[in-house]
Amino acid sequence: MTASLALTVRRVIAAHPTKLFEAWTTPALLRAWWGPRNVRCIEADVDLRVGGAYRIGNQLPDGRVLWITGAFELIERPNKLVYSWQISNEPTSRVTVRFEPVELGSTEVTVYHERIGSIAVRDDHSAGWTDCLQGLAAWAVAARAS
Amino acid sequence: MKSSTAQDDRLDDLFGALADRTRRRLVARLAKSPATISELAQPFDMSFPAVSKHIRVLERAGLVVRTIQGRVHNCALDADHLRDATEWLDRYRTFWDDTLAALAEFAEPST
Repeated sequence: MTASLALTVRRVIAAHPTKLFEAWTTPALLRAWWGPRNVRCIEADVDLRVGGAYRIGNQLPDGRVLWITGAFELIERPNKLVYSWQISNEPTSRVTVRFEPVELGSTEVTVYHERIGSIAVRDDHSAGWTDCLQGLAAWAVAARAS
Repeated sequence: MKSSTAQDDRLDDLFGALADRTRRRLVARLAKSPATISELAQPFDMSFPAVSKHIRVLERAGLVVRTIQGRVHNCALDADHLRDATEWLDRYRTFWDDTLAALAEFAEPST
């Protein structure tokens, strides 16, 4: 039996759930904030419906592009998203994102990533998601200012 | 004033979270480096659930980011939200600095 590991990353971001849900599911906005440090989001396609596919192109510092692909399993706008997750041809895992209002104008974003095959991959994804939420928080601050 | 409601709420949460000496100490500890809940609990002689509860309050106020891997809960300070608090305080520091400078000038006219 292969290991099935999970991770959670939580962060409060000063923006409405609706705005963050939109940022999470709109290609043009994803390109603006998505990615771990040193990774550039070069392309994003999102077919936001249950069963609909998405893909995100991640350009690494050496120029290689890693594609993250999957399909939506559940959509509860603007509070919850569940989708499958596959990097290149690695085994498929699953991501649940929650956008919970904590205060007027603030949202707690929780990423729960499960069915991960190894500790190394889990640790890698923890760091990646932490960076992603940092990126989303920075995007929200910039969007508020503009 | 209406437009500042969201920011006011955030500041209520932020200063509310900091109005507790244990939580201030936890923030001071996390300012040095990220830490697990177990590492945070040790010097405070507190249980994991007790520390976790305090960290939860700091999380909701946007002061702490938590990452959970199995049983390990990692906590890191979210500097951006702490900056909101210092910016608010800075406004009044400027006010008092200017006022005190004016008072000093009034009391001790330059020779």
